[in-house]
Amino acid sequence: MKAKISLILPIISVLVLLLLMPLVLKNYHLNILTEIIIFALYAVSYNLLLGYAGLLSFGHAMFFGLAAFVTGIAIIHLKGIGMITAIFLGVFSAFLAGVVIGSLLLRHKGSYFALLTLAFNALFYAVATKWHSVTGGDDGLNVPRPELNVIFAKIPVETVPQFYYFTLIVLGIVILFVWFFTRTAMGKTVLLMRENEERMKFIGYSTNLSRLILFIFTGTLAGLAGAFYTLHFRFVSISAISVEMTTVVLLMTFVGGTRTFWGPILGVFVYIILQNYLSDITDRWPLFMGLIFVFMVLFIPGGLSGFIMDMKERVAKKREVALEGNQL
Amino acid sequence: MSEFLVFFLHGLAYAGLLFLVSAGLTLVFGMMNVLNFAHAAMYMLGAYFSYTLMLHTQGQLWLSIIVCPIALFIIGALIERFLLRRVHAYGHVSELLLTFGLAYIITELVKWYWGNYPLALNIGGFLGETIQFLGLSYPVYRIFVFACGALVAIILAVILQKTRLGIIIRAAVNDNEMVDALGVNVPLVFMGVFAFGAALSGFAGVIAGPLLSTYPGMANDILVDAFVVIVVGGFGSLAGAVIASLIIGELQSFGALLFPKLSIALVYLLMVVVLILKPSGLFGEEQ
Repeated sequence: MKAKISLILPIISVLVLLLLMPLVLKNYHLNILTEIIIFALYAVSYNLLLGYAGLLSFGHAMFFGLAAFVTGIAIIHLKGIGMITAIFLGVFSAFLAGVVIGSLLLRHKGSYFALLTLAFNALFYAVATKWHSVTGGDDGLNVPRPELNVIFAKIPVETVPQFYYFTLIVLGIVILFVWFFTRTAMGKTVLLMRENEERMKFIGYSTNLSRLILFIFTGTLAGLAGAFYTLHFRFVSISAISVEMTTVVLLMTFVGGTRTFWGPILGVFVYIILQNYLSDITDRWPLFMGLIFVFMVLFIPGGLSGFIMDMKERVAKKREVALEGNQL
Repeated sequence: MSEFLVFFLHGLAYAGLLFLVSAGLTLVFGMMNVLNFAHAAMYMLGAYFSYTLMLHTQGQLWLSIIVCPIALFIIGALIERFLLRRVHAYGHVSELLLTFGLAYIITELVKWYWGNYPLALNIGGFLGETIQFLGLSYPVYRIFVFACGALVAIILAVILQKTRLGIIIRAAVNDNEMVDALGVNVPLVFMGVFAFGAALSGFAGVIAGPLLSTYPGMANDILVDAFVVIVVGGFGSLAGAVIASLIIGELQSFGALLFPKLSIALVYLLMVVVLILKPSGLFGEEQ
């Protein structure tokens, strides 16, 4: 029981803190925070593949971007569409893409998987670029924010704090749900599959099926993040579905650390704050991000969260040693 | 008919380039199981080095062809020795992430130093002319690019099939632990192949500059195509890389002629089809 409280207490305090943020922050910073929450879900979904299943994907942006586009296009072309329907259409398209692509990639792992996801992402990008009449190509699409109706009640989401709360509540719940998922039997299966797949097969699990389900699940989550991305910026362009959008989430996740559930969220926070800060002082901030990234691959492969965990362990060990010394 | 021939020749030229880039990629992948994202960055560096060199030497392409691959051979060797080997123990994902990070940094450095816009080069002398045959005039340079690819393919085939080094490399693609156990210095062979791949890629960059112009996106543009080549041809197979380069070069070329809207997508569609019908690629061995 004690262990549970020590887990839940930080979560609740962070949530309370986030709920109070609109009282403290100006709209400019609140916008950044909304963006952080959206990318947090995107990174969490990515880390389910990279950190939990050990699958390096270079195509996560196809789900993110597909849902972003479908949501935007639905809002533009379907008159009077509600926000929930628009989000649902976006997420459902990502789900379908996950089913189709996942079944094709089922057998592949490691570098093959990385390469094939990259190629699929490139295919999506190529289609989005060429299909100018629908996607707006390089110019992108301006997407008005539709009304949010929940059981006859109209909830306002026009102002920055309103949309912030909407994002925080919906995506916050989803992220918590994903966290619980990683602690269920299915979540554990994925972890074990990474550790020893042969053995899992031997026990009688269908590892291919588990991998397919995970792939679809993470794609759908990325789709949800993509739908919110369009709604947040009221704009979507081919950059949402580009390979860069995948590499961004890879950087965020890796900087935060893939070994913990919360690491990628930390990574998103650091990345976006750093991006806002560094891009003010230098145009070369991607270069610095790249250098930080390579430095971490070489020296801190556990990322920031892994680094923090290591430090904690060291401190705990020192304390133990000190205690033992006292007892003697 | 003459239009058909022109597009066929265009396809051959691009196939030549594509082969030069994918040859190193597929060998490194076959041996070290490392998908080298920085490989196309070497191609881009080759093009930019050559641009600067030719600017200062009034367009001496031959000088670039000799100097740039040597420079990239050294860069490749350094990357393998001091960076890639260090993360080898962490597994393939780390290796892949490292090469990805390097590609990212190189692209940013290139944008910084040379600017984020295309640089055009004109080729003088015989290579800059057009020749007349079968009633059409065609730029010599494109034929030259294809000839370079074909020549390298032949040389590589001879090295791989006829020399002791080639036997070691082919054996290491199959089972590098066994080769190591037989007393070959496998890490040295890895370094050599990696550096040689970088040099080939740099060579491709040198001859690509005047053909496609030199710009910071050129690495990503060819990288995805080269990946498709090694998927379609089969991982680690040089013969596969030759055939797949030709297929994809022609597909790009005729795609642009016949279905201008679909031309980019065609290449990926081909990959998906191969993936469904023969996941190991045309010349790949079953896993």
